[in-house]
Amino acid sequence: MREVLNYGLLFAGLGLLVLTIASFWIPRILGWKEKLADLSPLMRELFWTYAAYILASHLFFAILSLGFRDWLLSASPAAAAMSGFICFWWSVRVYLQFFGFDLAEVKDTRFNRLAKRLLTLLFLYLMIFFAIMVWWNLGGGG
Amino acid sequence: MNAEYTIILLRLAGLICVGLVVANFVAAPRLGYAGSLARAEKLVRQIFYVHCGYIVMLISGLAILCLGWPHLFLEGGMSKVVSGFFTVFWASRVVVQLTYYDSEYRRRERFWDIFFLMVFFTLALVFGAAFLFER
Repeated sequence: MREVLNYGLLFAGLGLLVLTIASFWIPRILGWKEKLADLSPLMRELFWTYAAYILASHLFFAILSLGFRDWLLSASPAAAAMSGFICFWWSVRVYLQFFGFDLAEVKDTRFNRLAKRLLTLLFLYLMIFFAIMVWWNLGGGG
Repeated sequence: MNAEYTIILLRLAGLICVGLVVANFVAAPRLGYAGSLARAEKLVRQIFYVHCGYIVMLISGLAILCLGWPHLFLEGGMSKVVSGFFTVFWASRVVVQLTYYDSEYRRRERFWDIFFLMVFFTLALVFGAAFLFER
């Protein structure tokens, strides 16, 4: 089981890394620069700052998943807490993906549809996988 | 500085993070988020509020960790990467405020500008200490 989770973490880390890199295209695809032009300078700055910190958080999760797999699989309370936090993070994101965001304003192109499906799959995977990690770290592996 | 002092500082950082979480809710009406975003498209509004929510979630998680289990920052396999991440997180927040935020607005709100700069700088110092003094 540990070996399977180890590969699962590797996959999660790579997924998060791809998400982090792909996130650099999101502002262009969604036309943030033009759409934010009407906002006050402070609101624009807050928007970009928050987006950058969310991006940094995803990179941090990727670094943890790729570089600290032994620790995340250590069946310790700290590893359970970190896995739980990451699971909660992606659970919220999954909820928003299905019930929160109104994507009607996004152009309905083949690329955008594919990107949306891939993102949804990744978010679901991260939510479910880190839920399993919580179970493992709480002694579920026996 | 030994580990005991660092744990006290980490608990202080936890309290500061609780204050920041509260401040986020105060900032929304004070900075007029709703009014400013009224002209923006719905998706932009949603993304902004979701990002705010995630930032609050991250700082809340950090506050819980600092207040409940500060020793986790000083021991174990990945304490260094967590404290290192939050050192960069808060230090970069100081840099963002000094170099990126609207200088005119900062001048108008000079007290809060300096107050939050000191808050972020203090947090960077505390997590930097945890990073350096990890056992």
